[in-house]
Amino acid sequence: MQSLDELMKLPGAIASFEFSDRGELTEHRLAEGNALTPDILDLVSHVCIANISIATMQARGWEKVTGQAGFYPIEGFTLVGFDWSTVSSGNRGVILRNEEADYQAAYDALGV
Amino acid sequence: MSIVAELAARPGVIAAGEYSYRGDRFQCKGELSEEHARMASIMCRATNLSAHMQTHFLALGMDPCPFNPASGWSVRGPHFTVCVMANVFCFLDNTATSLNEVMRLMHKHLGREPEDLI
Amino acid sequence: MIRRLLAIDGVSAVCHFRDDGALVEGHGVLEEQHMAGLAMFAHDYRRILQSHADQLSMFSQVRGWTPPKGWIVHGKDATVCSLGNLVCLVDNREASLSEVMRELADTQY
Repeated sequence: MQSLDELMKLPGAIASFEFSDRGELTEHRLAEGNALTPDILDLVSHVCIANISIATMQARGWEKVTGQAGFYPIEGFTLVGFDWSTVSSGNRGVILRNEEADYQAAYDALGV
Repeated sequence: MSIVAELAARPGVIAAGEYSYRGDRFQCKGELSEEHARMASIMCRATNLSAHMQTHFLALGMDPCPFNPASGWSVRGPHFTVCVMANVFCFLDNTATSLNEVMRLMHKHLGREPEDLI
Repeated sequence: MIRRLLAIDGVSAVCHFRDDGALVEGHGVLEEQHMAGLAMFAHDYRRILQSHADQLSMFSQVRGWTPPKGWIVHGKDATVCSLGNLVCLVDNREASLSEVMRELADTQY
């Protein structure tokens, strides 16, 4: 698992961040020259936690009903926005520009 | 070849499918039963609705907001990953496929779908 | 008609929204722009909740969750309550949520 500074070296990375189990932003790094602020990163952190939680419910239900294991525990969630993506795992995430995004490298760096 | 067929033909793709935005129809190619494909459609549609609402909220704090509108999402488990872009979903075997290639293919074909369909 | 909901203790704003999320009418302390925002939020939230209720039915194989009639999001000081196409903003210190939900049920159309 790499540090927030190392996450910033991922292709297209513009922010890396860490959040509490409730989704509150606890630490972050921001590349210069973009519109992101800690307040926005706090919202993004809540998006990550909310979706990991929803996906966990779905993985539990899916595995119970279908008998097909392999989704639980949820190891990561990625939101692909119009121009940017946020890749999250556990209590950390990274925001990438879509055209340069290497999702696999991001998951690897997040320790998935 | 449709994007669903193209995805389903890729190595490591367990199944690929498409649901109607209204949630009343679906189709799927691959190793999912009809009932499981129906369930997958319901689940993917639910998360898609959430993702769109969430990027609307992000846009309240950023203008312009590069997250908004959402193009799609993916969720990763220990063995499988689900990728969704617009109204198309894809189940992947983590060990047998390239996540980046699938995401790139889906984004190229589906990443700019008009949001009013959601 | 929905304006009468403002007479309930603690209710500070009430909106009626269309099935596409557009504001039909809104009354109370919010500005027009925020009233429209509340209407759109309630519309989005209702759709998400409907889809989650579908999943709950699907996974639990128990009937009774769907279709969901409404929802309450309870914050520290404020609560948002919605039933059907109505949504209202409530001050927790003054309101009885049971009364608000009962009145929403009586008023919805």
